[in-house]
Amino acid sequence: MDVTEERLTDLLILAPRGRVDSSTSKAFEERVLGHLNNGEKRLLVDFSGLDYISSAGLRVFLMAAKRIKAAQGTLVLCAMNANVREVFEVTGFSALFAIYPTREETLRSLGP
Amino acid sequence: MSGRNVLVTLKNRLPEIRRLSAAVEAYGEVQAIPDKVVFQVNLALDELLTNIISYGYADGAEHEIAVRLSLDQRTLTVEIEDDARPFNPLDRPPPDLEAPLEARPIGGLGVHLVRTFMDSVEYRQDEGRNRLTLRKTLA
Repeated sequence: MDVTEERLTDLLILAPRGRVDSSTSKAFEERVLGHLNNGEKRLLVDFSGLDYISSAGLRVFLMAAKRIKAAQGTLVLCAMNANVREVFEVTGFSALFAIYPTREETLRSLGP
Repeated sequence: MSGRNVLVTLKNRLPEIRRLSAAVEAYGEVQAIPDKVVFQVNLALDELLTNIISYGYADGAEHEIAVRLSLDQRTLTVEIEDDARPFNPLDRPPPDLEAPLEARPIGGLGVHLVRTFMDSVEYRQDEGRNRLTLRKTLA
């Protein structure tokens, strides 16, 4: 699974592509943990290239949410397709994150 | 593959789940099953098979798992049959979906997704084999 990265001042934008499932979640987790261990505190995960997530993938987001909260940072999500959004909704995970429809709206909301 | 039924046999290795997904997608296209249903069926299969493959076998040997899809009128039936140790995934208590972040469970989410996205889920044991039957009525 490919994850593109972009930085806008102190905001790190990660855009995973494809699927986050039992075969890719470990690699994705290591990527995210790597950044958190490096002290990144403002993370946006852009889901526009992601068409599938299973509970293995949700696990990574739960870990990241806990770590970011402990670091008093920000983790926001955007651009989920309807199927992925529903997975977050029915598992109660949508209550754990601010989820925006588009990257533009996220950036506007987060401010400079 | 004939008519509205398909059988996919998997080995008990996690990468096999991708092959099954592709077969389900192909079946969905042929049978004009809505994308959302294909997504949810694939997710349910992924969750259940990940558990079966990860925890169901203690002998380190190769086993086969049979997945059957069939469409009757507007009901899609998915059956998973395996010879893993007897295990009913429906026995698990439902997870607390409203716990505060620190107490959020991960365990049980997979089965919760299966139960939420499928209209019915049944487990039975049949001559030493586990049988899970999932049903989804298409609109």
